[in-house]
Amino acid sequence: MLEPSLDLYGETYERVDAILSDLLVKCHARYALIVDRKGFVLVHQRAVWAPKPPSLDSLATLIASNHSANVAIAQLFGEAAFRETVQQGTDVGTYVEELGPEALLVTVFDGTAALGKIKLFTKQAVERLRTLLDQERGPPPPLDLDEGWSDDNAKLFDGLFTKRTQP
Amino acid sequence: MSTINFATREINFKLVYYGPGLSGKTTNLKQIYEHVPGDSKGEMVSLQTEDERTLFFDFLPLDLGKVNGFKTRFHLYTVPGQVFYNSSRRLILRGVDGIVFVADSAPNRLRANAESLRNLRENLDEYNLRLGEVPYVIQVNKRDLPDALPLDMIQAVLDPSRRVPLFEAVAAEFRGVVEPLKSVSKLVLEKLAQKA
Ligand SMILES: Nc1nc2c(ncn2[C@@H]2O[C@H](COP(=O)(O)OP(=O)(O)OP(=O)(O)O)[C@@H](O)[C@H]2O)c(=O)[nH]1
Ligand SMILES: [Mg+2]
Repeated sequence: MLEPSLDLYGETYERVDAILSDLLVKCHARYALIVDRKGFVLVHQRAVWAPKPPSLDSLATLIASNHSANVAIAQLFGEAAFRETVQQGTDVGTYVEELGPEALLVTVFDGTAALGKIKLFTKQAVERLRTLLDQERGPPPPLDLDEGWSDDNAKLFDGLFTKRTQP
Repeated sequence: MSTINFATREINFKLVYYGPGLSGKTTNLKQIYEHVPGDSKGEMVSLQTEDERTLFFDFLPLDLGKVNGFKTRFHLYTVPGQVFYNSSRRLILRGVDGIVFVADSAPNRLRANAESLRNLRENLDEYNLRLGEVPYVIQVNKRDLPDALPLDMIQAVLDPSRRVPLFEAVAAEFRGVVEPLKSVSKLVLEKLAQKA
């Protein structure tokens, strides 16, 4: 099985972006992210009023791993997956919905939002995103990665460890 | 299997440090974290037990910089080496682009090295992957141990055909840490360049 990937580009990306912005407005969430199952951030949106988010790399990795662990737990009981994953703290909560086999939609909210609305509008956003992503899309833009590209990266790699961390 | 984000112009790779318990996987990531300048790394996340054994994974994102308008990023993970955490190990391998196998030089860990490698093959099999298809290198760690096994002996067990790049290391002293990472990164980059 090759890991399916959700490539977003061009007009599709902009429309995905717009769906996320709309989601934030409708349910008064802080952030909305699409994260692939490997833990990479594909798209993210932040409400204008929301405080600066924590490291999105850390968030995405933990969400994806946590989700994969939850699926594994469900499977121990013969379930395909648990239907919904809500985590709620005193101030902040997260809500995760599967966006097909490749990705997850994550909504991060706080006390100014109602959980019912978060769930409702996140589910709606998933449907809109699915419809959009199921449409025929043009081929991805060409990637021009030749031998020079991997050599140049190797040079960057060397630079990573020769730079001094502290004077 | 790398994740290419055309919108943000990023190419992301997932590298996993695999190997038996206490072989030094987490130590590798900690050392890398300490030696990479601040603007090229993200936060390190460690999900570990009270006694600092990895419970789920360690995670460290590295930013190489831009080539051809695309930012190259590596996400480094370790797995928990303890035998009974296998379901976690399997989950971490999802979507792996490259593997550093961290072997232990201690005489009483020779079997654990071999078993961990067998376990890696089994877990890759769950994703229909073969070790030979995934860019893969071996780091033989803890070369500073007074009773460290000869390198040949370890290689004979882990890679009898001597085809896999092999590096000696004392990860705790940041010796032999960069080389295997660089080697596997290079393999991973070349693999993508060939496909593109
Ligand atoms: N002598 C010696 N000790 C080392 C070396 N590298 C790591 N260690 C020590 O080995 C112990 C285990 O290291 P970790 O990096 O936590 O091992 P791990 O592979 O992550 O272990 P798990 O998380 O249980 O799978 C620690 O006490 C390290 O300090 C080395 O090169 N030489
Ligand atoms: Mg560890």
